[in-house]
Amino acid sequence: MENPLITEPLFSIGPVPITAPVLGTWAIMAVLMAGALWLRRRLTSQPDRVQTVAELLVTTLDGQIRDTMRRDPAPYRSLIGAIFVFVLVANWSSLIPGMEPPTAHIETDAALALIVFVATVYFGVKTQGLRRYLASFAEPSWVMIPLNIVEQITRTFSLIVRLFGNVMSGVFVIGIVLSLAGLFLPIPLMALDLLTGAVQAYIFAVLATVFIGSAVEGGHAPSAAEKQESSS
Amino acid sequence: MTIDWWTLGLQTINAVVLIWFLGRFFFKPVSAIITERREAAQAELDRAAQAVATAEAERQAVQSDREAFAAVRTSLLEDARAEAKVERERLMKLAEEEAQSLRSDAEVRLKRQRADAQAALLEDASDLAVGIAQRLVSRLPEAALVGPFVEGLAGAVGALPAGVQEAIGRDGPALVRAPRTLSDTERQRIQEALSAALGRPLNLRVEVAPDLIAGLELEAATASVRNHFAADLSRIKAELITHG
Repeated sequence: MENPLITEPLFSIGPVPITAPVLGTWAIMAVLMAGALWLRRRLTSQPDRVQTVAELLVTTLDGQIRDTMRRDPAPYRSLIGAIFVFVLVANWSSLIPGMEPPTAHIETDAALALIVFVATVYFGVKTQGLRRYLASFAEPSWVMIPLNIVEQITRTFSLIVRLFGNVMSGVFVIGIVLSLAGLFLPIPLMALDLLTGAVQAYIFAVLATVFIGSAVEGGHAPSAAEKQESSS
Repeated sequence: MTIDWWTLGLQTINAVVLIWFLGRFFFKPVSAIITERREAAQAELDRAAQAVATAEAERQAVQSDREAFAAVRTSLLEDARAEAKVERERLMKLAEEEAQSLRSDAEVRLKRQRADAQAALLEDASDLAVGIAQRLVSRLPEAALVGPFVEGLAGAVGALPAGVQEAIGRDGPALVRAPRTLSDTERQRIQEALSAALGRPLNLRVEVAPDLIAGLELEAATASVRNHFAADLSRIKAELITHG
């Protein structure tokens, strides 16, 4: 069994080494993109079962964003939704024999956390303006500026470590049990890993929503219509 | 543990591409179709609400028309009742007048019928009296039917005016009616009595008339002298009818 903390390149494209997480991510991207295109072509006003599931996903996602941020979910839907879907599919890809989930490697989790960090800054500046966004680091007092900056960094790291630790540990434990015991013994652990993967995807998406929401919170207050819409 | 920065960079690019792609080709279309359906449902609800409002307005209009009709109906009923009252009073007045007229006519007719009945009753009574007299006379002897009346007839002829007396028997035998065939003696006696009353001889022509009952009757051109029961009974009957 290979060390999940070490990422070995499978091949190289020029100077760029292609590792297993990158290859797995491409595979997942291909599946998700193909599925998105397939579903997009068959969208109708009379939804079938697949479209209903997709609409349920989008509606639930909108509701979650609206409840958390008290804002129109449209600007954040793509980011949060894509992160959730990708993390979920990546976590569950461990069920495919020979496939190692990309989220079990820290580079993938770091990439996602980096995107969330950039998005947090982007939406914060976009909503509040650069001056007010930077001024929000001095809340409630200028003494808090170092702590707020550290918080921005540490919570990004917490995203990385949380997702990486849970997924990697699950894969690691299953690998150990599989090497020690028989073929069917790890099945309960794999089922538990499914639950853990779903929970971690949800937590990652929710935390990303919370971080972005806290960044835009100092901006304009949600309108009465938005409040009413979010409460309905 | 080491971090492969190439992998980190590629995964970052991959994630950004995936976020853009899913946002462009999955979340946006699905959200759009949800919004479209929601707007369609809202439009249906708005149309339904509009239809409900229209129906409510029509219902209120109908209610208003109904109330107006009820008011008109009430007014018409009151007018009709007033007209019916006036008409009833007029008809009652007409009926009373007609009843009064009928009652008056009936009273007149009843009075006339009563008078007719009384007259008929008197006539029947007179006929009964005449019948009784005829039966009583029929029981008298034959001689009593003529003899006692000769002197009376002669006296009546003698009381006639002279001109009338002159006309009796001038143009031929004088006609004498008797209830039965006269004997020669009775005929002779009558001729002598009349001749004595007129002061000149008089020829007679005798005619039998049983309806005289008893007595004699002299018929001349200008006078008729009756001395018999039939004339008496007729006179009595006329008196009875006249005086009730």
